Amino acid sequence: MKPTDVLVVGCGLAGLTAALTAASRGKTVRVAARGAGTLAIGNACVDVLGYVNGEIVRGNPLDALGRLPEDHPYRIMGTEAVVKALRFFSRLCDENGLDIRTESRENLWIPTALGSFKPTCLCHPYMDRKSLQGHDRVIIAHMPWLKDCHAQMIKTAFARQKGFRDRELRIVELAAFGGQTHRNLTPLDVARFVDTPDGERWLSSQLANHVAQLDAGLCTAVLLPPVLGVERHREIRMRMTRNTGCTLAETVIPPPGVGGLRIRHALTQAAARAGVQIMENTHIVAARTQGRQCLSLVAENNGRGRELAASSFIVATGGFLGGGVVASPGKARETIFGFDLDAPERIEDWGAPDLLDAQPYARLGVKVNGRLNAITPDGDARWDNVYFAGRTLAGYDFASEKSGGGVAICSGHYAAPRC
Amino acid sequence: MTDIAQPDRCIVCTTCTVMCPVAKNCLDFLGPRMIGPAHQRFRLLGMGEDESLHYCSNCKNCDISCPCDVPVSTFIMRARAEASREKPPKFRDWILAHGELLACWLRFIPAVFKNFGMGFAPVRLLLHALGIARQAPLPAFAAQTFRRKFKSLSQPQNLPRQVVLFPGCFVDIYEPESGLDIVAVLNRAGYEAITPEGFVCCGLPLVANGFWQNARQNARRNLEELARWTDRGLPVLTACPSCALMFGKDYAEYFPDLLPRNLSPVLVDVCEFLTGCMERGELSAPDVAPGAATTGDDHILYHAPCHLRALGAGLPGLELLRLIPGLRAEYADSGCCGISGSYGFKKDKYAIGMRVGSALFSAMRQSDAKLCASECGTCRVQMRHGGGKQTLHPVSILRRWLDGK
Ligand SMILES: Cc1cc2nc3c(=O)[nH]c(=O)nc-3n(C[C@H](O)[C@H](O)[C@H](O)COP(=O)(O)OP(=O)(O)OC[C@H]3O[C@@H](n4cnc5c(N)ncnc54)[C@H](O)[C@@H]3O)c2cc1C
Ligand code: SF4
Ligand code: SF4
Repeated sequence: MKPTDVLVVGCGLAGLTAALTAASRGKTVRVAARGAGTLAIGNACVDVLGYVNGEIVRGNPLDALGRLPEDHPYRIMGTEAVVKALRFFSRLCDENGLDIRTESRENLWIPTALGSFKPTCLCHPYMDRKSLQGHDRVIIAHMPWLKDCHAQMIKTAFARQKGFRDRELRIVELAAFGGQTHRNLTPLDVARFVDTPDGERWLSSQLANHVAQLDAGLCTAVLLPPVLGVERHREIRMRMTRNTGCTLAETVIPPPGVGGLRIRHALTQAAARAGVQIMENTHIVAARTQGRQCLSLVAENNGRGRELAASSFIVATGGFLGGGVVASPGKARETIFGFDLDAPERIEDWGAPDLLDAQPYARLGVKVNGRLNAITPDGDARWDNVYFAGRTLAGYDFASEKSGGGVAICSGHYAAPRC
Repeated sequence: MTDIAQPDRCIVCTTCTVMCPVAKNCLDFLGPRMIGPAHQRFRLLGMGEDESLHYCSNCKNCDISCPCDVPVSTFIMRARAEASREKPPKFRDWILAHGELLACWLRFIPAVFKNFGMGFAPVRLLLHALGIARQAPLPAFAAQTFRRKFKSLSQPQNLPRQVVLFPGCFVDIYEPESGLDIVAVLNRAGYEAITPEGFVCCGLPLVANGFWQNARQNARRNLEELARWTDRGLPVLTACPSCALMFGKDYAEYFPDLLPRNLSPVLVDVCEFLTGCMERGELSAPDVAPGAATTGDDHILYHAPCHLRALGAGLPGLELLRLIPGLRAEYADSGCCGISGSYGFKKDKYAIGMRVGSALFSAMRQSDAKLCASECGTCRVQMRHGGGKQTLHPVSILRRWLDGK
């Protein structure tokens, strides 16, 4: 197989962003990935920084980067790089039919399936709590035939919030589609039906009928689970907004989310157009190096190896969850190059006693220099042409900081121009 | 059936169900997470089978998407084999699984009658009654199988190198021309092709339709034959990604006891082999065909068969097309075509298959390419049927260009 300029490992948010950045700079790019990446089950929101040391970040998350420890990936890359990466990503989404952006650069609060709100930064702009609260009436669509649809819970939680005090909150029930099935239906099933002309008509007419029965003249928003299509989301939402005269907003939900699939679809389509070849079901198991250069990575191939050569390598293998990092008692290891990670020797030190506290093990990962090369305990780059990105990086805890998507995008975007 | 892998590697992330084209298009199917690892636990406890097991098309998108290497489709195929022991598969499934046997018998009937048979309305009604969808694009049997044509073919003298070609049933029975295209291009690269009689159907259609023991017998014969050629140091090529997947991955998961310890049973993808030939200078890329730009044939829409994606070797067919000067090969990236071997021919699955393929069909219709390409024979049949455009094996396209069309 012909060597490429860049070989990316992993097709999650970090890997795809890295590949598309490199391709936009004229590089030949190949992506090797085993598994579809977390995007396939996540939501359409990119968290940049929601909490620092357990404290909520209000306003612009970029202003809070200075409060992070020095070895945090954001600090290593610098604020300027973060701004550029997020802008690149929003433009990429826009060019591929998705509005995932930030209008104010401020953290926003978006509704979850349980009626609580979570902080995020880039998302479909209409998911913002402020936009919902700007309406006189919020209709909460109830689909009792759907797994985990809790309209009453949402209504109760909203009613407790100051911003919704004098708003009319109303639940409307939507009839099921299709026949009987013994499967648990999820919003994804509905979204995929809505992607078809029949499905769009089905949802649009039900919503329009419900709205027609209410007093006119009130500025109305409809809150739904994420069911407004997957691949044709933008056009469908636009048409339905016109048909119903309402703002349509969606909640974020536990896996399988729908929004992440929208992003994944947009990015993989962009990759196909840019000539980026994604090698699926390709498990990278080893590296061939010479001094401080990596020559090729080795893919598992029916018990034999297949060598993939390139000039530069970006490793975006998703940390513990993605398989880029493994742990055994008292030890943690990067899986492709096989070097040990800095991990506490005593297993008790891996977790904090209070489960709700930030967990030290979550910050385990590959330590890097200012170019995102992995470094030795002495601080020297291990290989000059290997860059690490996404959840495999050390020094951040995406779950408690709410910084997962942001670090993935920024590190992918930051690594590519160095190739 | 011993040594069934344990389902405990599954972290219940739902990715496989999200990426399963059948679960996407058929709400009656519980999906790979439930039918695969989740139900596997019940099976190990001796509890009953789920009624929707039969919906799986064995396309392997679950395996491709799982982050944890859970052998999802293998759980499902093993469960289907168990279920078939208790309740034998339909006669229809026997017909679809045993295409190779049928072709053997049919060899004695002249082709005009055979095709008359397959396309003839009363016959289609009969097949429909048996459970083969009347609208389905059943391919016609070729007048002569590839192997027979090959026997009477004279390859150029004094070719310096040799390779073995495993044609796969589709090329052998239905589309011998694409096999001949491959031989012609191999000859041009300096290789004499050998197609041994000892190979039989890889067994994938047998597994998909529940005939586990027959598949096992085929695997045994094929592995013996493969060893004979690899012992001589000859690469064994195939034009069919499903055969390559069956040899390269599935034999080890289905019949681990049959694998000799030091043999990795690899069939080399013919496109990958030819890309190598070009890199080594054994085959030079064709010149830009004169007048190509005006015919619109210089633009090809390429579809990657799911089983090729599952092989984990990238898309060598697309790379090969992109090595042809003056030709623009576009990647359709539209998922499964919906045929999955014999799945889309079945009366109760035809509509699901067409829904699965709809994204690809509309990509074909929207593209201004007049010609499409894909390595898998049944994908090509489904693409012509659903997308309405001529679809060829990438090597057939290469041959056209080498011959100046
Ligand atoms: C369920 C869930 C939902 C989330 N939702 C959100 C959200 O809505 N917003 C947000 O901002 N953050 C979210 N996060 C966090 C965020 O998903 C992650 O921080 C981010 O997506 C990680 O991206 P990544 O590319 O680093 O890793 P991943 O998406 O995990 O991708 C890693 C890729 O590398 C592949 N890989 C690993 N090892 C190898 C190997 N050896 N060879 C080949 N391939 C390999 C994996 O299979 C995978 O494709 C969510 C996390 C989870 C678990
Ligand atoms: S093999 Fe294909 S149809 Fe069967 S469960 Fe897996 S993805 Fe679904
Ligand atoms: S993708 Fe793999 S780990 Fe996730 S639910 Fe499916 S089988 Fe389990």
